[in-house]
Amino acid sequence: MVNSVYKHLGRLPSVILGGVVAVAVIAGSMSNSGTARAEGTLRVGMTAADIPLSWGQPDQGFEGYRFMGLMLYDGLINWDLSSSNKPSGLIPGLAESWTVNPNDKTKWIFKLREGAKFHDGSEFDADAVLWNFDRLFDKTAPQYSARMASLVNFRIPSVSYNKDSNTKGWKKVDKYTVEFTTKSPDSFFPYQICYILMSSPAQFDNTGKDWNKFAQNPSGTGPWKLTKMVPRERAEFVPFKGHWDSSRQPKLDKLITIPIPDPNARTAALLSGQVDWIEAPSPDAIPKLKERGMVISSNLYPHVWSWHLSRVKGSPWNDIRIRKAANLAIDRAGVKALLGGYAIEAKGHVTPADPWYGKPSFQLRYDPAAAKKLLKEAGHGPNNPVKVKMMISASGSGQMLPLPMNEYIQQNLKEVGIDVEFEVMEWQSLLDRWRAGAKAEQANGAHGVNVSYTTQDPYSSFTRFLRCDLHAPSGVNWGYHCNKEIDGLLEKASLAFDPKERDIWIAKVHTMEVDQALFVWVVHDVAPRAMTTKVQGFIQARNWFQSLTPVSMK
Amino acid sequence: MLTYLIRRILYVIPICLGVTVLVFGLVHLAPGDPLSAVVPPDAPEEMVQELRVAYGFDKPLPIQYATWLGRVLTGDLGVSVARGREVTSELALAVPNTLILAVGGTLLGFTLGAFFGGVAGYFQGRWIDKLATGIAITGVSVPHYWLGLVLVIIFSVEMNVLPAIGMGPNGSSNWVWDTEHMKHLVLPIITLSVIPMGIITRTVRATVAEILNQEFVQALHAKGLLNHQVLMHVVTNAAPTTLAVMGIQLGYLLGGSILVETVFQWPGTGSLLNSAIFERDIPLLQGTILVLAMFFVFLNLLVDLVQSAIDPRMVR
Amino acid sequence: MSTSPLDPRQQATVDVVQVAVQSRGYWATVLGRILYDKVTMICGLILLLIILSTVFADWITFTDPYKANMLKRLKPIGTPGYPLGGDEMGRDMLTRLLYGGRLSLFMGIAPVVLALGIGGLLGLTAGFLGGRINMLIMRIMDVFYAFPSVLLAVAISGALGAGIFNAIVSLTLVFIPPITRVTESVTTQIRNLDYIEAARASGAGTFAIIRVHVLSNVLGPVFIYATSLISVCIILASGLSFLGLGTEPPEPEWGLMLNTLRQSIYVNPEVATLPGLMIFITSLTFNLLSDGLRSAMDIRL
Repeated sequence: MVNSVYKHLGRLPSVILGGVVAVAVIAGSMSNSGTARAEGTLRVGMTAADIPLSWGQPDQGFEGYRFMGLMLYDGLINWDLSSSNKPSGLIPGLAESWTVNPNDKTKWIFKLREGAKFHDGSEFDADAVLWNFDRLFDKTAPQYSARMASLVNFRIPSVSYNKDSNTKGWKKVDKYTVEFTTKSPDSFFPYQICYILMSSPAQFDNTGKDWNKFAQNPSGTGPWKLTKMVPRERAEFVPFKGHWDSSRQPKLDKLITIPIPDPNARTAALLSGQVDWIEAPSPDAIPKLKERGMVISSNLYPHVWSWHLSRVKGSPWNDIRIRKAANLAIDRAGVKALLGGYAIEAKGHVTPADPWYGKPSFQLRYDPAAAKKLLKEAGHGPNNPVKVKMMISASGSGQMLPLPMNEYIQQNLKEVGIDVEFEVMEWQSLLDRWRAGAKAEQANGAHGVNVSYTTQDPYSSFTRFLRCDLHAPSGVNWGYHCNKEIDGLLEKASLAFDPKERDIWIAKVHTMEVDQALFVWVVHDVAPRAMTTKVQGFIQARNWFQSLTPVSMK
Repeated sequence: MLTYLIRRILYVIPICLGVTVLVFGLVHLAPGDPLSAVVPPDAPEEMVQELRVAYGFDKPLPIQYATWLGRVLTGDLGVSVARGREVTSELALAVPNTLILAVGGTLLGFTLGAFFGGVAGYFQGRWIDKLATGIAITGVSVPHYWLGLVLVIIFSVEMNVLPAIGMGPNGSSNWVWDTEHMKHLVLPIITLSVIPMGIITRTVRATVAEILNQEFVQALHAKGLLNHQVLMHVVTNAAPTTLAVMGIQLGYLLGGSILVETVFQWPGTGSLLNSAIFERDIPLLQGTILVLAMFFVFLNLLVDLVQSAIDPRMVR
Repeated sequence: MSTSPLDPRQQATVDVVQVAVQSRGYWATVLGRILYDKVTMICGLILLLIILSTVFADWITFTDPYKANMLKRLKPIGTPGYPLGGDEMGRDMLTRLLYGGRLSLFMGIAPVVLALGIGGLLGLTAGFLGGRINMLIMRIMDVFYAFPSVLLAVAISGALGAGIFNAIVSLTLVFIPPITRVTESVTTQIRNLDYIEAARASGAGTFAIIRVHVLSNVLGPVFIYATSLISVCIILASGLSFLGLGTEPPEPEWGLMLNTLRQSIYVNPEVATLPGLMIFITSLTFNLLSDGLRSAMDIRL
């Protein structure tokens, strides 16, 4: 008797629970996708771990620009994101034109766009420009933000600012004209300006002069407005009807960005219908995505995956024959196959389609015989291998699949007589050591570091790694490379204010760079993204940034 | 009895203090720059130094500890370095989300555990006992993050009946107890419940078996006492231990949800902890660990008090 | 006077002490019981098999667990030369699982052994000496006890960083408090027993008392309790690697393998779940073994 009573009571809760689960599963199987949404809403799964900062200068690297900065804001100069089959260059943004003063090349006149409005309704003018630069440099200004400064100031090394006397290199000429002064004549200046985004001074005042409050209610001149933000979970955007650029009016009703840092979770989210678009699916998951009818969009863009070599005394990479041999020993087609075909074999730091490519005579290719020959000349071979130590990471933005790729390269190099030892670390640690330089104690005697790079502007592509004076702590010439001839060419490039002439000088730099095999170049990424067939109209530009304005949902 | 209660409550204070020291020490043990995650790659050293001063990381450790403790006592857990938002507001959002999972997991674990344990204890020695015990041991032995992964593969990716990640179609805001939101709960709660289920099964089994073996129960039965009275007797005797275990399990799930939250991308304290660790966000890390530990301390206290109220013999 | 009550599992173990003290030939009875318990014997055998195959991995397998072969990435189970498939770098899964077992078992057992040593010593000291020292030690343990084990392990590992050594330090710290508690509890109970008083009265020195009576009666239950912690430790250690805080690539270790194979669940889900299966089986057998030992020692059931 105890038997039956006890049994009944014991079972009841689980019966109820079983019922609930059954109902849930049945209900679930009736509707295929997990969520209902309005017409014309796009949900994007980003790789960032959190919603990028919305106050102006974004964090989370270039993804922050892509899915927050350039959505809410514009710079004086923008990128041309309208086409997928030509290089993406600079176009007028909030400035209609910019010219250098021919008599004093440290001075630039920017003519601003009239009639551009911020989301809060206030007008954009020269005062706004000055205010935004003060926000990054002038510590006495109420709008100064140390955090914002740390996020972007290193990208405008040329702008003149004296912190002791607070002398600023930006000046108002009239309501729609601003004059910038650079430390020395620098033709790369426009490339630097495009990273500075314009926040609304009026809105800053409206939100009590508090950047954290501004971030909750941001206001810029960009094509999208932020309507809702739940930290770490989602940000919701709607089109800004009053945007000054009619060619960039968003077609969608709503855009939602969701941080999903784990690649598996991203793939699962797309497959189960919780998002419509994901960034950077893991290459291994791409066949499955395709099998399920997802569309993979990709395009070449200014990215390069390479080994940054140490030229410190005692480094084996100081011998040009060894550098060339390494470049000849890598089976780049094999690496590309590893990535499911989603990569482009490197022929240099930039691709041959790039105006900066030049005419190098050293051809990067897979030729182990030639590699062995060079190594033999250098006194090495399978019996006396070159011993090299590299610092790599297990993951990281733009690093693609670092472990499989590096291991594959290690195999390739071993076959010709270069023995590679890896020190694997976390992405942030790798960046710390990269900043510290090859001579630092933290480098642990490493002869190279594997960090992927942007080649979107000349300073980031060439100057910061090659110029003799830009080693730690002043810059990221990690390997202490120094070649006066290249310095000379870089100088000429920065003094050539005609874009075509500048490109020719930069091409000379690149030609020399490749001929001297200054890096070990492997592949360029093609930024694969996966989306459902409902997503229409996306044009993947050859740029780290993308515009989502032409996108609509079927 | 009263003195015991008061002593027990007061005892919490030095523990809490010890916890703050431990948390602070742990977090500052970390090698590497507290700012490294926040500072962009190319930033020059002087910029980094400025930031360091702005956040107070340049002061000696004991002073940093004292300042932090002072602020904590007034309810200010600091500002997250990576996000610029206050730690308290981050936690205020994350804790309820994890509570939903933890309570759900504990309840499910308790229900299943009570059932299996009761059955096993009653039928001790027979095959049902072995089956139920087997299920319990399986529950405690399975790596639950692996289980979660497998469930996602089967139910989300292959069968597409349940969502893979997240906390509802609109994220965690506007949580409503409707089917859409419940679907997001199913897999995480099942995953979280296996360990409590296992532990509670064993506890209940042991307690029930012990009680049923007592001679006077046999005697009661022989005297023809109604079943529900015996049942009451079993339940009231099993309750204190079982509830205690359940309470502790709740605490474990609350504090230890990081693995499951990582698999399901559930926006709770576990995910917060995960980002804080990998971004080396010192204030957020300190604040989160501290709050979770405090929850556990007070939960333990509650369990102790309730136990001693129900069964004074438990007082030691 | 002791500290907060032990949880029921610990209590059950401690109760074994009563039995231990009462009869001689006790261990013989225990052994007999174990040999008759089929489940425990089978588990013991399986575990032995697992341990031996990981220790002698280089004798059983002929492939290098570190040698990657990109052409064989994620090959399914049964590919010639890859009996259990290839992992995400084209390494043979069977080899990786066996070699990985070494690290996983090591990281599961070493912290418990270390904690047994350190915690046991602390608990013995606290239990035997009592008074102020007892309070000091147990209070410090209580502070650690304020953290759920996963949180503590993750927090310490997160602070120290990834790496096998750091993970072992972290896990040892996590397991010292429970072992100290159990040891202290058992020691206190024994210390107060009558026959110890008798021994003292008869003039036996403190050391002799410890050695003869206390140790032999404390070691048993504490040891059994520690074995029940091994399965938890294995899961925690793999969990740490799963989060990226334990073993680092390219070392083979089950938890890390679960982590790195996650990407492949869309290509080859069976291979991706194998390491988890190994963790499960090992953990299960340890648990069953530990339970079997305990029930063999506890006549109440």
